[in-house]
Order: sequence, then C-alpha cells, then structure tokens
Amino acid sequence: MAADTVRGARKAGRYVLLIVVAVIVLFPIYAVLLQALKSGPDSLDHPRSLLPVDLTLSTIRAAWTQGNLGRLLLNSVFVSLMVTVGVVITSLLAAYAFAFLEFPFKGPLFIAFLATMLVPAEVTVVINERTADALGWINSYQGLIVPSLASTFGVFLVRQVFLQLPGEMREAASLDGVGHVRFLWEVAAPLSRPTLGALALFTFLGTWNAYLWPSQVIRGDRAHETIQIGLERLKNNDISKINLVTGGLVVAALPIFVMLVVFQRQLVRGLTAGAVKG
Amino acid sequence: MKRRLRDVPWALAMLLPSLALIAVWTVYPLVKAIQNGHLRCDVTGTKCRDAGWGRYVDVFKSREFQHALSVSLKLMVLTVPTGLVLGIALAVLADKQLRGIGFFRTAFSSTVATSVAVASLVWFVLLQPQIGVLADLFSGIFPVLKNPGLLNDPGTALFAVALSSIWANLGFTFIIVTAALQSVPRDLYESAYVDGAGSFTRFTNVTIPMIAPTLLFVGVVLTTRALQTYGEVALLTGGGPNPQQSTTTIPYLIYGKNSLIHNDLGTKSAAAVLLFLLSLIFAVVQFRGLEKRVHYGS
Amino acid sequence: MRASRNVSLAALVSVGLLAACSGGGSITDSPSPTTAAPGTTTATGGSSATTTPGTQATTTTVAADTLPDCPVDALASITKPVTITFWHGMSGPLKDSLTKLTDAYNKSQTKVKVKLVGDSYENTADNYYQASAGNRPDLVQLPEYQVQAMIDTKTTVPASKCIAASNFDTSKFLPSGLAAYASQGVQWSIPFNISNPVLFYNKKAFAKAGLDPNKPPASLDEMRADSAKIVQTKASTYGLALESGFDSGGGWYVEQWFAKAQQFYLDGQNGRQARATKVLYNDSTGVQLLTFLQKMLTDKLAVDVGDNTTTGYDNLLKLADKTQPAAMTIATSASLGPVLQVLAGGQFPNILPNDVGVGPMPGPDGKPGALIGGASLWVVDSGDKARTAATWDFIQYLTGAQQQSTWATETGYIPVRSDALGLEPYKSTIAKDPRFAVAGAQLAASPDAPTSAGPVTGPLREVRTVLAKAVAAIFKGGDVKKALDAAASQADGLIADYNARNTG
Repeated sequence: MAADTVRGARKAGRYVLLIVVAVIVLFPIYAVLLQALKSGPDSLDHPRSLLPVDLTLSTIRAAWTQGNLGRLLLNSVFVSLMVTVGVVITSLLAAYAFAFLEFPFKGPLFIAFLATMLVPAEVTVVINERTADALGWINSYQGLIVPSLASTFGVFLVRQVFLQLPGEMREAASLDGVGHVRFLWEVAAPLSRPTLGALALFTFLGTWNAYLWPSQVIRGDRAHETIQIGLERLKNNDISKINLVTGGLVVAALPIFVMLVVFQRQLVRGLTAGAVKG
Repeated sequence: MKRRLRDVPWALAMLLPSLALIAVWTVYPLVKAIQNGHLRCDVTGTKCRDAGWGRYVDVFKSREFQHALSVSLKLMVLTVPTGLVLGIALAVLADKQLRGIGFFRTAFSSTVATSVAVASLVWFVLLQPQIGVLADLFSGIFPVLKNPGLLNDPGTALFAVALSSIWANLGFTFIIVTAALQSVPRDLYESAYVDGAGSFTRFTNVTIPMIAPTLLFVGVVLTTRALQTYGEVALLTGGGPNPQQSTTTIPYLIYGKNSLIHNDLGTKSAAAVLLFLLSLIFAVVQFRGLEKRVHYGS
Repeated sequence: MRASRNVSLAALVSVGLLAACSGGGSITDSPSPTTAAPGTTTATGGSSATTTPGTQATTTTVAADTLPDCPVDALASITKPVTITFWHGMSGPLKDSLTKLTDAYNKSQTKVKVKLVGDSYENTADNYYQASAGNRPDLVQLPEYQVQAMIDTKTTVPASKCIAASNFDTSKFLPSGLAAYASQGVQWSIPFNISNPVLFYNKKAFAKAGLDPNKPPASLDEMRADSAKIVQTKASTYGLALESGFDSGGGWYVEQWFAKAQQFYLDGQNGRQARATKVLYNDSTGVQLLTFLQKMLTDKLAVDVGDNTTTGYDNLLKLADKTQPAAMTIATSASLGPVLQVLAGGQFPNILPNDVGVGPMPGPDGKPGALIGGASLWVVDSGDKARTAATWDFIQYLTGAQQQSTWATETGYIPVRSDALGLEPYKSTIAKDPRFAVAGAQLAASPDAPTSAGPVTGPLREVRTVLAKAVAAIFKGGDVKKALDAAASQADGLIADYNARNTG
C-alpha cells in the first residue's frame, strides 16, 4: 500500500514537472502567437496580451500584405523543393557510383569527398557570393538553388544504405542483364525509401531554414527573397510596422510546424541518422 | 582490370553532378579564399595589393578578431554544456510510458521546427524593451529588461543570444537523446537493478555510457552551431551593443553589415580561412573522442 | 572519462589560441612597408601608413575632361523604350511614396521605364560596390556619407556634366544641398531627399513640467535645464533619450554639432578642398560636447537606450514607453511622417499625434544650422548612351519642383529646391502642420561657412562606426578624452588605409 502511494506521488510529481517544463519551453511560441492574434494596441498591453481574448486576424493580415508574405512563402517552397529534388538525385547517383561501381582511385576519392564536409558554409560564402555575382545569379532563383544541389552528407547517407543491400542482389541483377540505371531506379532506390525520405525531409528543412547564403545572394530584390530573410523587413527601419513582425513569425513558422507534426517519424529518422547506432 | 575500367564512364557520369557542384561551390571558394587572404583590396574588390602571408597572422592577432574569437568561444561555453544537460534532463523526464506522454514529447521537440530567423525574432519580440512581454512582466525583478533592454546592455546581450540559441536547439537535442535512450537495451537496466543499483547509479553506470556516443555527436553539432552563429546576432543585436560589441562572433565579423571589414574582400577571406582552421581543430578534437567511444551495442 | 579529457583538450586549445596573441593592431591596419612581401605592387602616390600626419595636400580640383560624358540627347534617337534600374534605400512609407512617383513617371511617357529595387542604405551601398560592371544599376541613391567612396570607384557620370550638357537650371536648388555632394570643383551627384536631425519632444510632458509646450530648447544648456525641470516635476522619468547609433547619436549628430559650432571635423577643410587624412573631433569642442552629454546621463537627466542597431528607432520608442519614458529625443526629420502615422494608428495610447512637438536640434550656445542629411542620386556610367540619358531624364523628374513638393509632404523630407515650397501640397502642409517646416528652417539658418558642407572621406561610414563605439563607451561612464583619442587614432588609421588602397 505504502509502495503504491509512493509510486502515485512520484507519478504525480513527474506530471507536475512535465507540465512546468512544457510551459517554459512553449511559452515563447505561445506569447508570440497571441501577440500576433491581437490588434496593435492590444498586443502591447502586457500582461493582458497573454490572455486569449479579443483575438483578431488583422495583424496577421496586415503582415501578410505589407510583408508580401505570400510571395516569400512561395519562394521558400520553390527553392526548398528544387534543392531537395536536386540533392536526392545527385546523392543517389554519386552514392550508386561509390557503392556499386569499380573504378580507379575510388577509395581516396571518397575520402576526399568526405573531407569536404569539414568545410563549413561560413567559409565558402565569401567567395561563392563573388562567383554568383560573376555569373549574374545575384537576386535570382539559380543563385539560391544551384550551390546547394549537391550534398556530401546525402552521398554518405545513401551510400551507407546501398552498402547494406545484399551483394548478391546486384550480381543476380547483372546476370539478368539489368543495367545500372534500371537497377538504381527499380531496385536500389525503392529499397532505400525510408532513408531517402529522411534525407529529403532533412534537406527541405535545411534549405527552408537557411539564412546566411540567401542573405548574401538576394539583395533588395523582394521578388526573390525567401521567408527567412524577408521576415527581417517587418522589424527594421519602419516604426509604423513595429508589431507586424509577430504576424510574420506566425505565418513563417506555421507551415513547418504542421509539416513536422505530419512527418514526425521521418524527421526523427533523419536527425538520428548517424547519431545513434543500433 | 578490364572490369575496373568498364565502369569508369558510368562512374564519371554519375559522379559528375556532385563532383562538379562540390568543386565549384566548396573546394574552389576555400582555395580562392586562401589566396585572397593575403591581399588588401579597394572598395570594389578589383584593385588589390599583396600584403604577404603575414597578413594571416596580423588578422589573427588583431583586436577585432581576437575579440570575435573570445565571443565565439564564450558562446560555445554558454550554449553547449547547457544545451546537453537540458536535452538529457528533458529526455529522461519524458522517458516514461505515462498517459499523454506523447503530447509532452511533441512539446519538447517543438523548437526543432524553428529556424534561426524565427527563433531569433521570437526572442527579439519577447525582449524588446517597449513591445516585449518579458520586458514588461519581469522588469521589476530585472530592471535591465527595460533599461536599456537585455539585448542593448553589453553585459547581458550575449546571454540573451545564448538563451535564444539554447531554446532553439532544445528540440533537436531532445529528439536525438530520446532516440538514444530508447535504444539502450532494457535488460542492461534489469541486470543493474538485480545487482542492487539505485536509479541514480543505473543512470550514471548504464545510461550515460550507453548514450555517450550520441551525446558526443550532439556536442559536436552544438559546438559547430555555436561557431557558426551569424543569423542570431544579425537579427537580435546587430553585432553590438557598443562599445564592447559583445555579440560580434567570427561569422558576424566577416558577414555582418555593421562590421568594420564588410567591404574588405581580402580581410574577409583571411578571417574566413581562420574560421575554417578553427572549425577543423575543434572537429578533429571531438571526432577523435567520438572514434574511441563508439560502441556497437555489445 | 575520456569525454572529459577531450573537453579539457578543447579548453586547452581555446586558451592557447587566446593566450598566443596579445598586442595586435586593428584588423584594418595597413601593413608597414618593411614587412611587405618582395615584389609587391604598393600603391603609387606614396600615401603609405608612415606618412607624417598633418601634411596637408594642396587644394586639388578634378579636371572635367578626365570624367565620363553625359549624352543627354541620346533619348531623342531611340526606337524602343529604355528600361533603367534604380537602386534605392527607402523603406516603409518613404518607399511607398517613391513608388508612387516612379509609377507616375512611367505612365507619363513611353520612352523610359524605371525599375525599382529597394534595400537599406547600407545594403544598397554594399551591393553597389560589390557589383561587377555588368550588374550595376543605372541610377543609385546613396546616403550622404557615401561621397568620397563613390568618387573613388570611378564608375559614375558626374552630375555636373549632365547639368552642363542639358542646361539644367540648378539656381533654385538649396545651395547647401548641392554643396554636400560637391567636392574638388565637381558636382558629383544631385540631392534627392534631404533631412537633418531635429528635436522630438512630448508636449504633454512639457506642459506638466510647467514649460511652454511650444517653446522647445534651442541650446544644449536650455535642453539640460528643461530636462532638469521635467525630471524634478516627474512629468517624465527622463528628460532626454540618447542613443549611440553610428548614423545618429554616436556619429552623424557629432558632425552636426561640429557644424553648428563652426568647427572642422576633418582636415583638408572637411575633405572638400583636399583629400582628408585625419579626424579632428578629439579636440576641445568634441571633449566639451561629450562631457556635457555624459554629465546629463550621470545626473539622470538623460537615459542611454543603446546603439539603436536593431530597429533604428529605439530612442523614439522611448518617448512612448509606458513605465519609464523620456520627454525628448533627437531623431532625423525623416522620421516625422512615419512617427505620426504609427501614433495615429493608436499603437501607443499614451502619446497621440498632436502630443508630438518638433524643434530644431539644440546646439552649442544655441548656434543654428544643420548639415545635409539624407541621400543623393548618382548616374552610373553604364556605357550605354540611351540608358544614361534616360537616367538623367528621370533625375530631372524626381527633382522637379512639383515632385519635390509631393515627395516632401508625404515623407517629411525637405524639398531640395526652394520653388517647391510654394507649390501644393507642400504649401498647405507646412501651413497646417508647421512641424514639417522645422527641418527646412534649420537648414536655411546654416551660416555661409566652409564648415557647413560637412565632412567627406572614403571610409566615413567606418569612421562614424568607430566614433559611435567611443560615444557608447562615454555614455557608459568612460573617460571622454581617452575614448575620443582612441577613436581618433583608429579613424586616422582607417583613413590612411583607405587612401593607400584607393589612390593611385
């Protein structure tokens, strides 16, 4: 009996702790969400601004029009999709070559390939911006998309999966006269679907969230801005829009929240790929 | 021999996209940056003078770079251990088959959905002295929240940036540590229990060693993110507050629009190369640790 | 644990990195000639870092025949419409107004189509400098501190060439406006939007303190006296909100105060007669000024809101603060329009549009005058005659009297020409709301002295940034002379470095 009470008390204690922590973690999102759902003066009336009363969509609507959020979202979606498709394709191809093909210097080439993972984006952006400018890709979709179309991490991941396929599969297929392209398209890729899905999600998220590169390659051309760099506009140098940034934040964050709730499992898989063994 | 060569055209075709892209957008910029690093150029970046390889040493030793280095390191110290500890704590807290635990797990993971821009602007809104709810609610206890604001006071600005980073990384850390916790075989706990180990001992002797490789991986990611901190600074503090420039990290020194060298291609390249070397050093130190600690579920 | 060993290894590396370096110079220092690698191409002209400071170059003028021509007649012979790109730095209501003007121009004729690309002043400048020849715009609006740097890019067609070629009448333009963008005998660009700092104050707080709400302080001493009364009567928590942004309280305003005191800020007569080589702000004028401001802070008559980089209007927000407001602040006159707009929306119920008063920026001993702020229009030398002509045509439109009247009304900028003052809608705007006329009157009161033209040097923006840091340190209680001397020394280094890289 006593043991039950102790266990019950422990359980209640754990619930209390869970609730407290959840409140702390979610508070920033809640506060900003509520501030976005109130009219200008109401949103600054603290702490009343935290109560879910007198809600209105006017701030979000104003942020949408004045921040041109529809276009920004479209740009982000387009760029993220293109990069995701590109990364999956280039990774599939390169991984196939490293996993199933024999050619001289394969080993050292792969090591060199992997080594490029050590070069952070912050280092390459200085020159990449000059390259993009020379190509005339400043303020363009190509400038946003092309530099990110290959991913060493993607190649590494997919090669890993390919190597785990039974070796006999490839041999049997080649005996049947199945060429590389067919094998890749009809056997290897479908069998790697979970990993490809995780890679796709991971890449989409990474591109959607990117800040440094878009901020360097898109300069003042609002037609090509992504949402991450466009949000900033709602806060800077315009005192008449000071609360619209909350509306913009809600619009920017909502699609990703929804997407991650839907694709939770793939997300976890993508994040833990390589992190957790076994 | 013939077999090896027969695949070559296929290999070439399949490798070409990735190799070409990486060559142009990763290898070339690194090489060019190294070359540029010893040049001093005019405003348009076209007329350059050679300043010698000593320029790298000069840039490294300069006040501004040393300061940015200390800021980056401070940020690392503030965000990495805290992030790890909080991630573990939350994962352990939610690692029980209670009713409704799914909701809490989703809540703790939620910040993984925020980007650098979103997370930074969320905290900007919360902390801005005139519009922020935190500034209004807690200025009684912490007057600095209002005057001049957590982000405008040189003593607290870096903490505010760190807070925003820690919060943003919480979801990621939680998800990964939770997955690691769930992969620890339960029979290990049972045998420890049978051996008379209390829950704390089980934690330190079973859990931590088993998830150690994951923790090191998370540590590597958090450290990398700390070294790469740019967006948070650009959006929260603009590299300030003056005069100490308390939040100018190395990436902000290179790319920030308020940076002294934002128009100086040669110096930016030099600083970028130095950042690369720094990242390398930290990566090597940490990967050596990782290598030695990887268990394969024995 | 092995992990802890690796952590301590990392810590050791970090400490080692930091300890290995001490006594470094500034990241912008030029290398001294003795350590330059052999075979280097050092800049000709001998302006290396070892030049003795204070050697004034003689007055220089740039010969007109070395500068690109302005083919203003090319528009007459085009067969299809010309599209020109205009990079500008306007945002918010200012941008809306510019867009309206541009749309009207595009609709009013068929020869030229103007495409607008807007960003902040800083980004527009950066983008321009980094753009390769084919990616430059045809017209660019750059702020008043981008004069020497633009001249040195040698990528523009001087406005004086276009003025001469088209017989453009500049007699009605504000002389100080033109002078701000002229140097070494050449009119380089045309002013488009002119502003200067003015005093914004809360009339309600003034009344509550027993001060006349229609009589703002005209001198620094009056400003201090008024602040004392306001704080004493608790009409507001602080009298004055100070900030140390580089383009405002920490940099630009200092130049303004020097102009009011009729003191030079740079040598070379502010860099307008000859290329500047050093700053002069660490003299007694500068020390007195900043000591005065520092004392207001220590006496709690003023409050420091920071360096104003995140929003750009932190000091104005302080006026509307609910719990600890300030009653006065200095801000650019271009903020007047947006401020009234946001207050009219009821965003800050404790201060209404009519509670806002505007007065001239208080100066030392109440001496009047102001430097030209804002931005100017530069014709880019694209090599394409039709586009150059089209650009000049658009500039004439934007600086036309009627357009300036509309532009000034909607934005709060000062019209660049006096014949706009008598045109609607500006005429009735200043009649109805005299606040919009304060900046113009302040400018008109500038003395006719060489100090009224403001400083010009290549790295002016960086020089301001360095000074702003010193001002921030002073506001936090640092030693005034030391801070100014340190900033001056770094600024001199910046100027020397710039001159070394950009001349010859």
